[in-house]
Amino acid sequence: MADRNTFRLMLLILGLVFAFLYLPISVLVGLSFNEGGLPTAWTGFSVKWYGELLANKDILRAAGNTLIVAIFSTLLSTILGSLLAVGVEIRRRNGKWLETMIFAPMIIPDIVLAIALLSFFSLLGVKMGLHTIIVSHVVFNLAFVSAVVRARLKSFDWSIVEASNDLGATTATTMRRVVLPVLMPAILAGALLAFTLSVDEFIIAFFTAGAGRSSITLPMQIFSMIRFGVTPEINALATVVMAVSVVALALSQRLNRGGLPGQ
Amino acid sequence: MTTPLLSLRDIKKNFGSAQAVAGVTMDIHRNEFFALLGASGSGKTTLLRMLAGFEAPSGGDILLEGSSIAAMPPNKRPVNLMFQSYALFPHMTVAQNIAYGLEMDRLAKAEIKSRVSEILEVIQLGHLGGRKPDQLSGGQRQRVALARALVKRPKVLLLDEPLGALDKKLRSEMQLELKRLQHEFGITFIVVTHDQEEALVMADRVAIMKDGALLQVGTPREIYEYPETRFAADFIGVMNFLPVSVASGGYQGKEGPLIRAADAPELAAGSAAVAAIRSERLGVETQGENSLAGEITDIAYHGLDLLLHVKTPLAETPVISRLTADVAERLAPEVGQTITLGWSARDTRIFPA
Amino acid sequence: MTTDRRPILLMSPALLWLFGLMVVPCLLILVLAFFRRGMYGGIEYTFTLENIALVFDPLYAQIFLKSAWIAGLAAGIASILGYAAAYAIAAMPRHRQSALLFFAVLPFWSNYLVRTYAWIVLLNREGLIVNLARWVGFEGELPSMLYTEQAVVIGLIYNYLPFVILSCYAPLSRLNPEISEASRDLGASGWTTFRRVVLPMTVPGIATGFVFVFVLSIGNFVTPALLGGGQFQMIGNLVYAQFLTANDWPFGAALSMVLIMVMLGLLMAQATVADRASGGKAGDNG
Ligand SMILES: Nc1ncnc2c1ncn2[C@@H]1O[C@H](COP(=O)(O)OP(=O)(O)OP(=O)(O)O)[C@@H](O)[C@H]1O
Ligand SMILES: [Mg+2]
Repeated sequence: MADRNTFRLMLLILGLVFAFLYLPISVLVGLSFNEGGLPTAWTGFSVKWYGELLANKDILRAAGNTLIVAIFSTLLSTILGSLLAVGVEIRRRNGKWLETMIFAPMIIPDIVLAIALLSFFSLLGVKMGLHTIIVSHVVFNLAFVSAVVRARLKSFDWSIVEASNDLGATTATTMRRVVLPVLMPAILAGALLAFTLSVDEFIIAFFTAGAGRSSITLPMQIFSMIRFGVTPEINALATVVMAVSVVALALSQRLNRGGLPGQ
Repeated sequence: MTTPLLSLRDIKKNFGSAQAVAGVTMDIHRNEFFALLGASGSGKTTLLRMLAGFEAPSGGDILLEGSSIAAMPPNKRPVNLMFQSYALFPHMTVAQNIAYGLEMDRLAKAEIKSRVSEILEVIQLGHLGGRKPDQLSGGQRQRVALARALVKRPKVLLLDEPLGALDKKLRSEMQLELKRLQHEFGITFIVVTHDQEEALVMADRVAIMKDGALLQVGTPREIYEYPETRFAADFIGVMNFLPVSVASGGYQGKEGPLIRAADAPELAAGSAAVAAIRSERLGVETQGENSLAGEITDIAYHGLDLLLHVKTPLAETPVISRLTADVAERLAPEVGQTITLGWSARDTRIFPA
Repeated sequence: MTTDRRPILLMSPALLWLFGLMVVPCLLILVLAFFRRGMYGGIEYTFTLENIALVFDPLYAQIFLKSAWIAGLAAGIASILGYAAAYAIAAMPRHRQSALLFFAVLPFWSNYLVRTYAWIVLLNREGLIVNLARWVGFEGELPSMLYTEQAVVIGLIYNYLPFVILSCYAPLSRLNPEISEASRDLGASGWTTFRRVVLPMTVPGIATGFVFVFVLSIGNFVTPALLGGGQFQMIGNLVYAQFLTANDWPFGAALSMVLIMVMLGLLMAQATVADRASGGKAGDNG
């Protein structure tokens, strides 16, 4: 019974908001397939700019670095985050400071964590490179993984653990044969989320990469490229990066039916 | 001949292909306390929501004092609804909740203030005006919801299961309270309930709904004594049903003598029917044309009264006989005992099977 | 539970990681802010309040205020747009809502730099908007759209709008429709119902969204750097410069510390709003 005019107004608002959200990135994607590469005229469909990407050594190296960082930080954070989630949920009565500490990496502004880590590493005299980016990414990634796994554990029926113990299994066996399989979808979803976040992360990587070009990641490469303006190559690169995160997010959603990760 | 306060003319409501209300026609009079009784899903809430203006009828018309209000938006109707969930505004105090509707009528501040404190006294919450709804007990919330709707002095007050969320003791107190308030304010009440006892206690007239249609409308006594359908008979009170076939001069059960009924519908001889007898009319010492023997299988207390479950050859399930406390004490029935129950032909109702 | 130590054992690797790489570095920043800058960059370990004082020097205080203004503008507009969008989603049929919400939030999960870059594509001098204006027949010099304050604000709104939609949708979808119906029933118009019932009950969602956008915007350095051009300074850029170019770490730390204080204050204010709206505490008699 919301009267028809109100409903139309709502549709209009939704249309405008979605246009605002999707128009800019659609233009970007569209231009990446423009033969001429310029926004002034459509000169035909082409994937040649994607070809150019593959020929660009800097981009390929940056992509390789990003992959290394993402894979290692995902592995580490998935293990640490899942263990944390299980421990926290078994223990139940956790103090406020503990909850805050687990929650903090998700809300702490990147710039703060970035400069804190930079100061920390330099004062310790640690030589910075891909390894410092990896350990830094684990800080926020493990928080996201544990959030996703904890969400699953909230609806976990602990009596199946008791049942397994009752049937004679040791704690380790119970973990391996009962708890882990049940949690697997959530752990994988958390890992995918961590992977996406790590691939996309710019600020912390930028501050903890150290000097030199050897440890530049893809977002850092993109940042330095777009400071000099618009090129069809960046359009193609941006499209690829966007596609990767959207696919990863969709997969993560599929694995872990329920709320959006991190929410 | 006065026009009824509220007239429903063949009101219908479809949700997609499902019909929630299937053509209801009835009149409700000034100062009446009217109860809508029906099983879950029978369309009671939908009917009330159409009266309040939250659902547009798919067909038919609603007349208030003779003129149609079917197209009038809810905020313009002189009809108020007390929601089943109470729907109190959580961010406002009790007093602000109650004042809200009066502010919408653009009454003067002073008048609003006096009417709010007046009704707070009436519902005995004078001291709690400054509380927020989540600081109240269930019963207090219920009274605030009632006050909020009542304070506007609508022509009709609609109440959707107003006592549904209260415990049994509070319920029976509030039943009387509702009646008192209805008298005091002189407002027509339409109350939805699925508690038949509640409907009989409170209402001047009761309507029984089933599958979106009205089965029967009448005074509590009419509904209780003369149910027109087997469903209505079953819905109200504890009724015993015996399968019978129509014979000349009576009704033949599975075995035994003919069952006599004083007034009964015309049914073809030999056709199947059911005889219905209320549990309290089926007595151990009751004198009457009919009798029935059986074995006591169970005894249950119902307040002071006793309910005897008696297995008889006439029906699959045991019949239930309700004995008052004094009779029960004198007879001291025991499980396993064989007894004879009797009842009068006037208390036999016959329905087609 | 037979053993109480086992969960701690599971938790400790992660907790140690967080302690060593989050808590300690953040404390370090706090400490750094009270040391003197060394002659050639570096740090001289003598206690001083100069850095903190310098933050409140008009030169820097002004940048602080400017950042707050931009962040406030972005947060304000994003809150209005986000609330409207969330309201509209909540007004759609139930079975459509989760899909709409998913697509409203989807851009949020793509790369921040890419989303910002999309606006460079739109706004630059050879960009789509300029071309569009030419195409409809606009002659002459168009005002520059990229590298302006407006571009920064638009970029921030664009990047954080999905979050506001999410945070506003949560209380809106939880709203019992009977509450608004009760208001209508008591004689309120649709607009009055919105203003006096729906809005006050869903304010925590707006507050969360506003604070989130504000906090992320005021410390942002990517968007000002890309859409504001080189000259445009916000606090984030200033912090960035102290650490990566000017090499005045103690001052950078002091700036960050003040920034963190502002953020914490806002987050606490937001928690209070959420608390207030979730039902008054005793003694709160308006
Ligand atoms: N908005 C709706 N959309 C579709 N079907 C509905 C809607 N509202 C009610 N119905 C259907 O209409 C029928 C009547 O519902 P209604 O709520 O009026 O029943 P009721 O008598 O109030 O039941 P209860 O005693 O459980 O409150 C039900 O079958 C219900 O499923
Ligand atoms: Mg109902």
